[in-house]
Amino acid sequence: MDILASFSVFGSTLLTLLSSPTNLIILLGASFAGIIFGALPGLTATLGVALLTTLTYGMDVNTALIALLGLYVGAIYGGSYPSILINIPGTAAAAATALDGYPLACKGEGGRALGLTTTASLIGTLLGILVLVIASPTVARMALEFTSFEFFLLALFGILISGTITSSDLVVKGWIAGLIGLAVSTIGRDPLQFFPRFTFDMPDLDQGLEVVPVLIGAFGIPQVIKALRNKESLGAMQQFGRILPEWRTLFKNRNNIARSSMIGIGIGSVPGIGEDIAGWVSYGTTKNTSKHPETFGTGEPEGIIASETANNASIGGALIPLLTLGIPGSPPAAMLLGALMLHGITPGPMVVVETPDFLIEVTAILVLCSFAMWINGMFLAKQVVKVLRIPAAIFLPVVTLMCILGSYALGLNIFNLYMMMLVGIVAYFLNEMKYPISPLVIGVILGPMADENLRRALMVSEGSFMPFIERPVSIFLLSVIILIMMTKLPKYPKYKAALVKLLGLNRLFKAKGE
Amino acid sequence: MRKVIKSLALGVLATSISTGALAADRYPERDITNVVVWSAGGGTDVVNRMISAEMAKFLDVNINVTNRPGGVAGSLGMSYVHRKRADGYTLVGLSESVVGSAVQGGWNQKMDVWYPFIVGGSPDLISVSAKSKYNTLEELIADVKKNPRSIKASAGGAGSIHHLNLLALMNGTGAEFNYIPYPGSAPAQTAVMTGEVELVITSLAEQQQLIKGGNLKPLAMLVANDQELEGFGTIPSAFKAYPSLEKYLPIMQAIGLAVRQDAPDNVKQKLTTAFQKAIATPTIQKWAQDNFYVLSGLTGAAASKEFAFLESLFSWTLHDLGAAKVIPSKLGIPKPSELN
Repeated sequence: MDILASFSVFGSTLLTLLSSPTNLIILLGASFAGIIFGALPGLTATLGVALLTTLTYGMDVNTALIALLGLYVGAIYGGSYPSILINIPGTAAAAATALDGYPLACKGEGGRALGLTTTASLIGTLLGILVLVIASPTVARMALEFTSFEFFLLALFGILISGTITSSDLVVKGWIAGLIGLAVSTIGRDPLQFFPRFTFDMPDLDQGLEVVPVLIGAFGIPQVIKALRNKESLGAMQQFGRILPEWRTLFKNRNNIARSSMIGIGIGSVPGIGEDIAGWVSYGTTKNTSKHPETFGTGEPEGIIASETANNASIGGALIPLLTLGIPGSPPAAMLLGALMLHGITPGPMVVVETPDFLIEVTAILVLCSFAMWINGMFLAKQVVKVLRIPAAIFLPVVTLMCILGSYALGLNIFNLYMMMLVGIVAYFLNEMKYPISPLVIGVILGPMADENLRRALMVSEGSFMPFIERPVSIFLLSVIILIMMTKLPKYPKYKAALVKLLGLNRLFKAKGE
Repeated sequence: MRKVIKSLALGVLATSISTGALAADRYPERDITNVVVWSAGGGTDVVNRMISAEMAKFLDVNINVTNRPGGVAGSLGMSYVHRKRADGYTLVGLSESVVGSAVQGGWNQKMDVWYPFIVGGSPDLISVSAKSKYNTLEELIADVKKNPRSIKASAGGAGSIHHLNLLALMNGTGAEFNYIPYPGSAPAQTAVMTGEVELVITSLAEQQQLIKGGNLKPLAMLVANDQELEGFGTIPSAFKAYPSLEKYLPIMQAIGLAVRQDAPDNVKQKLTTAFQKAIATPTIQKWAQDNFYVLSGLTGAAASKEFAFLESLFSWTLHDLGAAKVIPSKLGIPKPSELN
């Protein structure tokens, strides 16, 4: 199909959808619901799409897609609210946003942080859609380069990079936290051979630790304890700053935005992982390539932009393998696959042949959804900032209740509450000892992926480690991991200086201002 | 005042007794709920929504489909429906994968507490990557027989229906593949495309897009009949080349719904009639054809027998894999060889 025809389909879909008031109401409503889902700890994009799927059964395909994609886009964005305002990420995808969002809010610029987040999310989503339309086949082919070896390295990379960027004093503390998370994630029956590990014959531990109670416990409980101890509100601040988009700041960050969205799309398109680590990787990359990495973690707008652009860009990325190969790129996309099946559409390579307009229609709907998210976001941001005016005596119990509800709502299992409390108390003391908590949570999220894929990879290679250095993507990931670890060695600057001198590259590095 | 309450209570009691006796005759008087034990959008959910909508037309009431996923292999939904009264107003939407729930510690009932209606399922087949050097099942089997365990196979998760099909294929042909477990059908199929494994066994519904799109090359159906696939041609049955497979296969998906076994007889009768009429409608027939499902239509005793077979097969395989928490014989589940 030529580009002109695509454009006319795109335009006519947009017009048809916009001309129906029902669709508009559903669009704004779903997007709003998504933001709320994202913002409440414990309710995730995956859960939201799953719950909404049942309700869309009676709708026609386009309306159903508006509702589902609207919720998906909204939920990925909404997670940033509690990250910025109270330092408790609403979803794992927004955890990296808290690193700079919360300090910025503490400085009294909460409104500014939310405004930047909203517009960065919009731009990220749109760039993701753009790549979805023009480069689907290429990206899908790239996704097929990932076998168990690469999945293992990618998971390890995610854990290491979150450890590297979050430690306030020693990098090794971040890695230790990551390793604790990795160790804790092995609890439960192993997914390949069902062998029970560290379950102590407790049936509740059989399925392993749920991510949501760990996430809420690790971020929420320490925050509440700290606020109680210091007898203060969670984010005491009086002025909110401006919420309107700061085009100048965004324009200054154009390279950052381009890089972050590419990272987001790339990670989104790899089957099985998505938003959760896209934000981390792009935050880490932005920090490492910045001229002033020391300002990251103290309320640096660049950091917020990096993580929020990436996690929303990964939506477009996650849809690429879903729509071209029938393989969902992220957990919410897996739910979306189910929803499409319900409406009689089986995504896969034949979709382009059998219903050529489908991809363009999805694109048009996504564009609508991202603007609905932006509009909702602009209105909401001003209001949600006000929650910080609520006195601590009322606000703290409410936050605690939300933490408890969020942990319990998933699976209605009382055991998850005990788990949340235990994790929370451990996390509090780790915090006091200046161990970052994020790598621990990322370890729990990515641990099963690392564990399962390493063991499967070794089953496939019959015990040989050679494929790690025989496969191109694998070599690349391995070198990046080694490089990251090396740059954090205490003697690294000395070695680097020696190497630069040896190769006679002095002038080159001076010119670059290093 | 007390008198009034007493007479009211008596009145309510009297009505409820009389309605209790007559209820079964007048069934269905109100809407029926079908509780699907898997989440919305899954195969079991879609099938149940289709068949419920058709059955509703013959029962003259609505059938509301809800989802109650979770627990172990659908145990949450099953125990929910099992706790409800056996009056035929609450049905359970299930599939063959719930039969392992009891041995995995999900609940403590056997499948014989249900009176099932089987809609059908999509048949399994064995495929290789489009780039593979193998063009027939015979070439593949001959090769692996020369070097046992030299060829890697994926078939969804360990203990899934596709894994059982792989085990049956190995038993029936004497070939020994190296089974690599994946968390589901989609990753298993992807593994063939990336070249991580050589072959995959999943259902036709799951593979058809990839076959038509030229990503997968089908070798053989693991059921008795050949399969026509538009845009590809005929996929031969594996039974022709290996007649001994008949002893082990087919192991087919059994997606459908069920009512409690202790429901009144005429409730079961009315549901059976509606089910049989529904499955014969053009809507269901066309849907099955478009989605590569083979309709079964088994009800009552025949359907129970099918579920007993699947329950025995799944339970003992899970036991052999070390995934069962309860020994199947403790629940009174016979070995597949002991079934008649």
